[in-house]
Amino acid sequence: MSSANPGLAYEDTPPLSAPLRFFLTAPLFGIAAGFLLLADADLLVSRWTPGALAAVHLFAAGFMLQVMLGALLQILPVAVGASFPAPLPVATVTHALVGAGAASLAYGLGAGSPNAIIAGGVLLAGGLVTFLAASLLALLRAAPAHGASRTPRDLRLALVALTLTTVLGVVLAFALVRGLPVPFPLPTLVDLHAVWAWLGWGGLLLAATSWVVVPMFQITPAYPARFTRLWAPLTLAVLSLWSAGLLADLDLTVTVLGSLLLVLAGGFAFQTLRLQRNTRRSTPDAPFRAFRLSMFALIGSLVALLLSLFHDAQQWPVLAGVLVLHGTFAGAITAMLYKIVPFLTWLHLTQARVRAPNMKKLLPDNLIRGQIVVHKFALGALFLAVFVPVLTPLAGILVVIEFGWLLLNLLHAVREWHRAVHA
Amino acid sequence: MNPRTVDARGLEPPEPFERAMEAIMALQGGDSFTLLLDRMPHPLLRVLDRDGYLHDERFREDGCVEILISRP
Repeated sequence: MSSANPGLAYEDTPPLSAPLRFFLTAPLFGIAAGFLLLADADLLVSRWTPGALAAVHLFAAGFMLQVMLGALLQILPVAVGASFPAPLPVATVTHALVGAGAASLAYGLGAGSPNAIIAGGVLLAGGLVTFLAASLLALLRAAPAHGASRTPRDLRLALVALTLTTVLGVVLAFALVRGLPVPFPLPTLVDLHAVWAWLGWGGLLLAATSWVVVPMFQITPAYPARFTRLWAPLTLAVLSLWSAGLLADLDLTVTVLGSLLLVLAGGFAFQTLRLQRNTRRSTPDAPFRAFRLSMFALIGSLVALLLSLFHDAQQWPVLAGVLVLHGTFAGAITAMLYKIVPFLTWLHLTQARVRAPNMKKLLPDNLIRGQIVVHKFALGALFLAVFVPVLTPLAGILVVIEFGWLLLNLLHAVREWHRAVHA
Repeated sequence: MNPRTVDARGLEPPEPFERAMEAIMALQGGDSFTLLLDRMPHPLLRVLDRDGYLHDERFREDGCVEILISRP
C-alpha cells in the first residue's frame, strides 16, 4: 500500500491565478477581433487582406493559444500528474510574453508595421520557449503513465507540433519582413505554419483533451481504445509526410495526403458526435450543445477546404478559416471553459478546505445559455459575411458581444470564488 | 476493517470527488473502503497524501480505477 506519491506533490499544483490569468485575458483578443471586423467590411474577401491576417492571429495567438496554455498548466498536473516547476513564475512570464506578442503581431500584420511583426514573433517565441521548457521538465518529473488513456502521450505530441509551429512562425516573420532567405515560396511556408498550427497543435490538443473531458463532463462512453491509440500518431505522421510532399512540390502526394488529413479530422468529429449521441445525460446542457455545434463546424470547414481544392474562389479558404477558428475552436474552447473554470474554482476551494458553493452557483446556467446563443448568431453572421461582405460589421458586433459576455461570465465565477474565500 | 465500496463511475465532476470525500470523512482509525472511478483522480490523491491517508490504486481490466483508501 502506498501512502505517498512522489510525482504528485500537492504543493506543486498551480495556484488558481496561474491558469485564470490566461482565461481572463483571452476574451479580450476575441473582442479586438470583433472590432476589426466591425471596422472593415472587406476584411473577409480574401485570406490575404491585412485585416484578415490580423484577425486570424488575434483569434489564434490571442484567444486560442492563451486558453490552451492556461488549460495545459492545469491539465498536465491533473490529468497526467506532471507538475510544473515554479508554476506561478512560468505562468507570469509566459502570459506576459504571449499576450504582448499576440497583440504586437496582430497590430503589425494589420497596420503593415515590420517592426511590430518581428517584435510580436520574438515575444511569442520567447513565451512559448519558456512554456515548452517548463512543460518538458514537468513531463520528465511525472510518474510513468498507466492505464488506457492516451491523453499524456497525445499532449506530448501536441507540444511537439507547437514547437514546430513556433519555429515556422518565426522563420516566416523574418522571411517576410527582413528578407531571410528560405528555399521555399512564402505561401508554402504560410500553409505549413497554418496547418501545423490548427491541426498539429490545435487539433491534437483538442483531441487529447477530449479523450478526458468529453466522457468526464458530457457523460458519454469513452472513445474507442483503438481510435485513441491510432488517431494522434497517425495524424502527426500523415501531417509530416504531407509537409515533406509540399516542400518537395509533389502535387499528387500532397493531394492524397491532404485528403487523408481531412478524413482524419472528420473522423474525430464524427466519433465525438457518435459518443455524444450515446450520452447518459437526460437533457444536454448548453456547453454540451455548443461542443456538438463545434464538431458540425469542423465538418463544415473540411467541406469548405475540399471545395477549395477544386474551385479557385477566394471564399472557400476564408469560409474554412471562419469555421475552424470561430466555429470549431472558439466553440469547443468556450464549451470547455464553462466546465473547466467552475470545476477548477470548486476544486481549489475544496483543496484549501473552504466550503465551496455548488458549481451551478459558481457559473449559473442562464448566463452560459445566453452567451452561447450569441456565439451561434455570430457564427451564422460570419458564415454569411464570407459571401455578403456588407454583413461583416454586423458579424463584428456579434463577436464583440460574444467575447465580452464570455469575459463577464468567467469574472462571475472568479467573484464567487473570491466571496467564498473571504466568507 | 470496513469492506464498503463507493462506486463513483459515470458521474459528472465534482460529484465523484464529493462522494469520495464524504466516505473519507466518515472513516474511523483502521477503517478502509474501495473507491471505483472512471479515471485516475490525481487531485484526490494529492489531498489523501496531504492529509495522511493511505491509498493503493490499480487499473482494472475493464479500464476503471480501483482505489483502496485507509485511515491509519
